[in-house]
Amino acid sequence: MLLLRLFSAYLFLWTFLVACKQQVNTQDKAIILDSLSSNEKNVFASGDQSPMDMSYFPPGYPLQKMSGKDSSVSPIARIIYSRPHKKGRQIFGDDEQSLCRYGKEWRLGANEATEIEFFREAVVAGTKIPKGRYVLYCIPYEDHWTIIFNNNLNTWGLHMDSTKDVFKTVIPTMVLSPSLEDFTIVFLPASNGSDLLMAWDNVKAILPISF
Amino acid sequence: MKGFLTCIALLVFFGYGYAQTKLPGIDKSPMDISFYPVNYPLLKIQEKITEPLLARVIFSRPQKNGRTIFGELIEYGKVWRLGANEASEIEFYQNVKINNVRVKKGRYTLYAIPEITKWIIILNRETDTWGSFKYDEKKDIVRMELPVIKQTEIAESFVMIFEKSTNGFQLIMAWDDTMVSLPVTL
Repeated sequence: MLLLRLFSAYLFLWTFLVACKQQVNTQDKAIILDSLSSNEKNVFASGDQSPMDMSYFPPGYPLQKMSGKDSSVSPIARIIYSRPHKKGRQIFGDDEQSLCRYGKEWRLGANEATEIEFFREAVVAGTKIPKGRYVLYCIPYEDHWTIIFNNNLNTWGLHMDSTKDVFKTVIPTMVLSPSLEDFTIVFLPASNGSDLLMAWDNVKAILPISF
Repeated sequence: MKGFLTCIALLVFFGYGYAQTKLPGIDKSPMDISFYPVNYPLLKIQEKITEPLLARVIFSRPQKNGRTIFGELIEYGKVWRLGANEASEIEFYQNVKINNVRVKKGRYTLYAIPEITKWIIILNRETDTWGSFKYDEKKDIVRMELPVIKQTEIAESFVMIFEKSTNGFQLIMAWDDTMVSLPVTL
């Protein structure tokens, strides 16, 4: 009986160690793949690990246009970002294990920096943001995120050039339940504009934008 | 115990389904982006840029999944959005020439009319659109007929990628055993 207990303890420890090792491996792999996927993008490579996606405001604008609803109306905003998966990893946190560490800049996605475009002037937290394109990134903390608009377009998301920041604002984070496997950004309709919802794992944050 | 587990499983399943209906899941034909110069964003953070950004293309990547693509899934002679979901978007950061027509810098929608041995590539000024359902010939900027190059290696996912050429660059489009290359001159 004692032997059996010892054996199961050993088995437990072994599983735990293997699990830890695997976690490190996937993190390393993610970093390697991150750079590989675009350094050696060959014609026959299949899809990206963290596929790209796009969200328009008004929501589903291209589809709406197709369904014949006044095609002369232009879109108001769109965001282009990549969608990493949780894959069992710790996403937001204070320790080194966390993918998005508190206090460190995060590209709000994967691969290329996330890009937001306003097709007309927008107002964020009382500040007018001229129409145009911006890189959007974030510094996550436990209870809030700093959201930053930046002018350094068409860049990879790992080194943000903070000298080109144009606007910063702080938004509170909320608990998301059930948690979300794939990072998601989407424009939701709101009373005087849009709520830009950003959500991953068990965290969500909303950036209100009026137009 | 088994009943309890089933309950949990169902709860998780429906909970997940609920979250998925509210927020968009990962697309079956995920989007991708290509730049010219190739890998411009990465070169930028590595401080290896030697020429300015000239073009980028945003497209969706449907998969072959064992199907015959050209002539079946995509009918010959019909306008195709060159991808899936939203129509593909190409942006030039300076004026360029396609088929000897001057194309001003800006955003355009790309379409193709595939045939057995050639494709017609279309640059159209109606942007932010879905599919080719609203395609309007009157908004064409330029068309160019290009030969189909058959590949021995199969591209499982549709792809567009830029490549340097002697007097500019070309946009390579490939899916299944088919490849077409659109020359862009400066």
